[in-house]
Amino acid sequence: MRDKIQAALRSSKADYTEIRLQEGEATTIVYRGKDLETASAVIDVGGIVRCLCRGGGWGVSTFNDRDDLLTKVEQACQSAQVVQSEEPIELAPIPVSEARITVALKHDFRGISMAEKKALSEEYNNILLRRSNKIVDTTAIYQDAFSRVVFANSEGTFIEEERPMITVYLIAVARDGDNVQTASESVSGQAGFDFAQGRHELAQAAAQRAVNLLSAETVVGGQYTVVVNPRLAGVFVHEAFGHLSESDFVYENPRAQEMMSMGRRFGRDLLTVFDDGSLPGLRGTHKYDDEGTLTGRSDLIKDGILVGRLHSRETAAKMGEKPTGNARATGYRYAPIVRMTNTAIEGGTTSFEDILGEIKLGVYACDAYGGQTELESFSFSSAYAYMIRDGQVAEMVRDVILAGNLFTTLMNIDAIGSDFEWSHSGGRCGKGQGGLPVTFGAPHIRIQKVVIGGK
Amino acid sequence: MDILKQLLSEADQAEIVHVHGESTTVGFEANRLKRSQVEETTGIALRVVKDGRLGFAASSDETATERLVTNVLESATYGDEVRLAFPAPQSAPKVTTFDPVISELSIPRMVKIGQEIIELILEVEADAQVNVDLTRGVDHLSITNQAGTEVSFDRSPLSVSFDISRIKGDDVLMMFGVVGMTVWDEDYLAPVRRLCAQLELAKQSTSIQSGRMPVLFAPTGALVLGLPLMLGLNGKNVYRGISPMARKLGQRLFDDKITVVDDPTLDGKFSSASYDDEGVPHRRNVLVERGVLKSFIYGLKTAAQSGVESTGNGSRSLFSPPSPSPTNLIFEAGETPLADMIAGIDQGLLVQNALGLGQGNVISGAFSNSLSLAYKIEKGEIVGRVKDVSISGNVYDLLQQVAAVSRETEWVYSSFRLPYVLLSDMNVIAKE
Repeated sequence: MRDKIQAALRSSKADYTEIRLQEGEATTIVYRGKDLETASAVIDVGGIVRCLCRGGGWGVSTFNDRDDLLTKVEQACQSAQVVQSEEPIELAPIPVSEARITVALKHDFRGISMAEKKALSEEYNNILLRRSNKIVDTTAIYQDAFSRVVFANSEGTFIEEERPMITVYLIAVARDGDNVQTASESVSGQAGFDFAQGRHELAQAAAQRAVNLLSAETVVGGQYTVVVNPRLAGVFVHEAFGHLSESDFVYENPRAQEMMSMGRRFGRDLLTVFDDGSLPGLRGTHKYDDEGTLTGRSDLIKDGILVGRLHSRETAAKMGEKPTGNARATGYRYAPIVRMTNTAIEGGTTSFEDILGEIKLGVYACDAYGGQTELESFSFSSAYAYMIRDGQVAEMVRDVILAGNLFTTLMNIDAIGSDFEWSHSGGRCGKGQGGLPVTFGAPHIRIQKVVIGGK
Repeated sequence: MDILKQLLSEADQAEIVHVHGESTTVGFEANRLKRSQVEETTGIALRVVKDGRLGFAASSDETATERLVTNVLESATYGDEVRLAFPAPQSAPKVTTFDPVISELSIPRMVKIGQEIIELILEVEADAQVNVDLTRGVDHLSITNQAGTEVSFDRSPLSVSFDISRIKGDDVLMMFGVVGMTVWDEDYLAPVRRLCAQLELAKQSTSIQSGRMPVLFAPTGALVLGLPLMLGLNGKNVYRGISPMARKLGQRLFDDKITVVDDPTLDGKFSSASYDDEGVPHRRNVLVERGVLKSFIYGLKTAAQSGVESTGNGSRSLFSPPSPSPTNLIFEAGETPLADMIAGIDQGLLVQNALGLGQGNVISGAFSNSLSLAYKIEKGEIVGRVKDVSISGNVYDLLQQVAAVSRETEWVYSSFRLPYVLLSDMNVIAKE
């Protein structure tokens, strides 16, 4: 295969050419309620050729049939020439790399029978179903995927990487008359079958929470001091702030650059936010990104001040900065774009008790149940929440939706917990091309003056 | 060896689906042509029923048939028990979904359309950053099963999506639109013109106070109301017991101004076709008629589980087994002209776009959305954009009393046709 790839690269008439080929298999087991909905195995192979013509633009060809790479390179070149650009696209230089990254899974899921995977999912599903007669519906998903990706470019880089991923995702739906409540738990990692085993407590937690939510009152809307748990804080910083740090948002937009100018104060001194694609064991981790750039840590906000942003080779060249290893693609159907990897609010020094501290009336919002942002505006649903009364976590409430303006909200973060954690739930980022594995990290944080929708 | 024969030597029923697609995309970023992409997709998906159990497997490697056959049979060994029968051949309505004007649309023409869109927007808002993606393709799907069904059809989807961001200091306006069709529509710029009109209106800012007031939902905003119903009408959620509409067929659930139809038989629409993805003929399904719940949507499997017939709503992508999905979802027009609706509002809110669509406990009907674009209506006129406003409520309560539904409807997000909907008394939360 290597010879074929290199011959195809040599045949290219473009200024820059890259080829990424992928082959993989995935097993999915899905229980819905009492039924086994899916037990399937799929095979996915395909590739992408991307060319850059300096007088033109990007030309891309994607395909399933990998036999005729020469034709695909030609197609991509032709496409690149169609694009007429006044301003040539440049790529920031990176070292040529040669690497072969293999994984040794302790308990390789490829060697496990479908029967065993099914049995595990069924165990979790049974826990969900049997927790209470109020549970009317469940979902228990087991998924594993193993793929091999080969990346090569016309500069001489050649990287082969094995990418395993295993996920358990559990949902319980409880119902009481017209009142229907949902709770979920998940874990996901680049790991073997053992990672999916022994997760019974997650099923217990999801089922119990769905039932508890039935008797929770809808929160009374208004402005509150809000304590956010690590999982929700991590999603918040990814969605509301992280996407603005992706340079494809600012690199051709002077007004966005103004908004995101380096040195601007984004938070109080205690706020530090970073992205790091090189941390072992996390979902967003790879040694190289999908352009062959080494990954690493990028500080985005340091001590409250905006100090960095995330780059692909193209955005880095355009802005005169260094590539950060954040060019990522959701599989072979897509050219890489600037994406986060593992993004976090760095841990602080305040204990959870002190964060609750003097709050007379507030909301403790836990886990994300969805969120959307449009630059400065954000809207997040927490999966469950509690009122805070006189510094104590009090009764559970539901339908807590945090909405507001990013800039004021970040400035209103006034306490950061010492209990930092990476969330091992299956975080995915949907920017542009659908789900890409990412990890969220944060401790508990406290935010003043958050508007919460409710009744 | 013939795959069907091979499968039937071990299984009782078998289905083979081949997909083949080619598409071409041109993409503009920040008002400039940036990339061009060709895409070729092939794949094969198998389902079998063996000893009453359903198996599924798929591959994008068309040469891997041996492993695929092994996988689908193994899947059936552990698969779910369901009394599903793949359909025998049935005639279907003739629906036009292929147009050579689209399949042969040249790249220079696509580039020109993209430029037209950007120019229209920049005329209204010179500082806007516009991204446009145009994709035209040819999709071929063929379905063969042991009952004798051999269905194949070609579609020529064209999709044009555009998003706009306008930043002034920390003030941001983002808008998004997408137009989809399978037969060339000369009036392809109409949605862009509508968006430009909204941009124009948004130039004036004003404020609004929290409280109860009439709320007018524009077609894009009316999705806030449409999404919970879409989930509630899905036969899968009904079978699973989580739809608030379960066991309420024949009951009056909504105001009689509400009629909801799923119609895949419209020529040239984005989600139209003669057959669904399981080879069941498509048909027009009235789901809610003048407020009365008439039908849910089903595919073969959910229909079998529920003891009813498929409504022709089996929908699939290569790597997932079919499941019920609406096609072109239509909220029928009402009788009131839009101008009269606006003119009749003394103080109220026009909801154009909501943030967080689909988040939260949507299926329960509850929603709480902050609004990315909303206008204040005062003394019968739209007076300006209001920011930091959110609305909340429950669709199943609110739609029992609808003040008016507009005569005008618009296709939004390719597959929805919605009118303007006026609710006379809703809770609006504004930040002081």
